[in-house]
Amino acid sequence: MAGLALVGTAPAGWIGPLPKGIAPPAVPADNPMSAARIELGRRLFYDADLSRDGTVACATCHEQKHAFADGNITHPGVTGEPGRRNVPGLANVAWFSPLTYADPRQTTLEAQVAVPVAGTHPVEMGMTGHEGDIAARLDKDACYRAMFAQAFPGGHGQIDFAHVRLAIASFERTMTSYGSAWDRTQMSPQAAQGARRFARDCAACHQGPRFTDLAFHRIGPADPAAPDQGLAEITRQPADAGKFRTPSLRNVTLTGPWWHDGSARSLDAAVTRHGKAYAPAEMAALLAFLDALTDREFTQRPALGLPRMACGKLL
Amino acid sequence: MRLTLVLGLSALLAATAAAPAYAQDGAPACTAPVAPEGILAPWSTPGQIVAATNGAQVNAATLAIGQAARISLAPTPDVHYVIQPEKPGGSVSHGGLVAFTVPADGAYRIALGSPAWIDVIGDGRPALSTAHGHGPACSGIRKMVDFSLTKGSYVLQISANGDPQTAVLIVRLP
Repeated sequence: MAGLALVGTAPAGWIGPLPKGIAPPAVPADNPMSAARIELGRRLFYDADLSRDGTVACATCHEQKHAFADGNITHPGVTGEPGRRNVPGLANVAWFSPLTYADPRQTTLEAQVAVPVAGTHPVEMGMTGHEGDIAARLDKDACYRAMFAQAFPGGHGQIDFAHVRLAIASFERTMTSYGSAWDRTQMSPQAAQGARRFARDCAACHQGPRFTDLAFHRIGPADPAAPDQGLAEITRQPADAGKFRTPSLRNVTLTGPWWHDGSARSLDAAVTRHGKAYAPAEMAALLAFLDALTDREFTQRPALGLPRMACGKLL
Repeated sequence: MRLTLVLGLSALLAATAAAPAYAQDGAPACTAPVAPEGILAPWSTPGQIVAATNGAQVNAATLAIGQAARISLAPTPDVHYVIQPEKPGGSVSHGGLVAFTVPADGAYRIALGSPAWIDVIGDGRPALSTAHGHGPACSGIRKMVDFSLTKGSYVLQISANGDPQTAVLIVRLP
């Protein structure tokens, strides 16, 4: 990536390049990043053995070409149960807490791994009660045994779901995306015009370098009949009905369909739902600005893709 | 939450021409099977094929255009794909390879009875899909993927299938 500077290990536990002006994210003290841990996490992220019948990996729904979103409205789990919410992109998740659309309890990547793997509302990878099967499957692979031993040298190579979570979280922290035209200050005049409109109308919530305030908001009145009550499903507070966390807008042109339920089929439809009326030229400028937040390198970065080899052998 | 969108054939094609086709991948509640019609009618009369486990043997597992088949698959660790599938499937999943011949340049649709991942490989390279969506409601067709293919021989790679069997039909689109 152009313009990146190696920032070393400050704060403790972080490794990796970042552009000037981007502070490293917090890294849990019990899960410092290492090359071996990241590489293990990358392989696990793409391994469908983390699901009940071996058909669903993290990467099944989080596709790199979609900035680690999905391209579908929702995605069913291994049992065929439909998904409840649109798959979010993962760009810069290392900086996000809380992490998901409407669950303020999901504050760390390590903990959040359990939601798709073992969650039941809805069932996604279907491993609740079968977490031990993951270790049994991985332990049959000599390369995995070696990778776990290298990634967790103090744990004697123990393979269990807890270490799977640590490794996947380490890999997810490497999903940094700061290479858009906006980052390079190379926007078109139309996008620059849209940026000014965006700053006036949108940046109160879609703020900062990651275009999110990480807060929960409701747009419009609450709908008691809505099948998804958002934050209120966790807090049980009526005032939280219909509130969802502000999504990042990085790579937003690649992560459609949009909205927490994937119900906005176009980006201009998603913009319009915010309740402001824009003339066609204004909307075009806003969309040009949003497109300027696209980081193509992020969607093609080999280090984030499906591993072709492990332990020196083709997979 | 029930499935709210099932893309029919014409809808899938129209959506592809105008905008991305966003599929909601899930199965509707069905009280009885519904036989697909038109070019998908052969779905109801499948033959039986045992998928190959490597490219050298794939010609022994040949599927004709317009003929449906139940495909017996192998455990994924026993399958040696021609190219690494984009969704390889875990060690407890199933997969396999099937050969087919495209008689003339055109658009072709591959219908599957499961949400397995498929790759179509010609001349050692994967073909890019042009659209995807669901089959007719309650037909047993779980997904359909379209490709623009030129005349020649191809390998269909099936990966990340939960069951040791799936059904496949390849048809040319009008």
